[in-house]
Amino acid sequence: MLKSLLYIFGFLIAGELVSWLFQLPVAGNILGMLFIFIALKLKLISLKDVKPASDKLIKYLVIFFIPYGVGLMVHFNLIAEFWLPITVAVIFSSILTLYITAIILEKTGK
Amino acid sequence: MMQQFFELPVFGVFITLIAYFLAVKLRKRWNYLLLNPVLIAIAGIIGFLLIFRIDFETYNVGGEYISFFLGPSVVALGVFFYEKYEEVKQNLKIFILAVVAGGITGVLSVTGFLLLLKAPEVITRSLAAKSVTTPIAIEITRLLNGIPEITAGIVIAVGIFGNAFGPFILKKSGIKSKIAIGTALGTAAHGIGTARAFEEGKIQGVYSGLAMCLNGIITALITPYLLELFFRIF
Repeated sequence: MLKSLLYIFGFLIAGELVSWLFQLPVAGNILGMLFIFIALKLKLISLKDVKPASDKLIKYLVIFFIPYGVGLMVHFNLIAEFWLPITVAVIFSSILTLYITAIILEKTGK
Repeated sequence: MMQQFFELPVFGVFITLIAYFLAVKLRKRWNYLLLNPVLIAIAGIIGFLLIFRIDFETYNVGGEYISFFLGPSVVALGVFFYEKYEEVKQNLKIFILAVVAGGITGVLSVTGFLLLLKAPEVITRSLAAKSVTTPIAIEITRLLNGIPEITAGIVIAVGIFGNAFGPFILKKSGIKSKIAIGTALGTAAHGIGTARAFEEGKIQGVYSGLAMCLNGIITALITPYLLELFFRIF
């Protein structure tokens, strides 16, 4: 567990470092996610080295963004004022995203 | 007096944990979609803070200890992606093409609709990444100078919408392929959509999980450029 946690944080800090050094328009943790995927793919690290910590983090992932959801209360007025455009845009965009993704795979017989 | 107590980090941490714990119990008792544990936990905490007149900032002294773990969790998604990727041995070219097309559609269409409906720019910046998993969407919004809290709320709502209506919409549009249904759910409705995909079947679930991760990466890489381009044209 400790070793796998060290790997996760190691890749996280590597991502943060690269993002900061090169002033990239990509967050460090997203780079860390890419790096760990590549490292696994190239067999630089093995799945069992990182799996214990990563499984636990994924399991409790939803708890970690609760504070952001609570932060919505600060922006009640903005949401209340524009709830209609937000709802319409989000629903139609989601339907379009579902359809475009699915139709490509459906038409190619996947 | 009491305010000082609420500013202890343990208050924010404790109320978050207990709210989620109770929300999960509630969901187990009545398995009803709108009883999404995260949604209930958030609503419960907001209600508590309003009743006891506690500021969000005060709560977030402890809340930040919880949300700190979003960083390593995003890295863990890379591991999850690898595992799912290894499960699928088939040619993934068309799958990748579909997710890229869906990801770009998601960003451009929500941006376009909000512009047409004259929503303020800060909302557009906050919702551009609405299809991807919450931790990644929050990072994208931060980079775009949007409001991450709005992103978190809407992304959860999008997930619930996809979970509730996704399979119905797809079947009504004549989609029959299991891979197509799974991939579409993961691309459009991230983890909450993926939960539904697993209910539809194993193949749907695996493809949905893969699509969720891949769309997270794609959207993170392209959204800053797409949005700047968009705002420059319009």
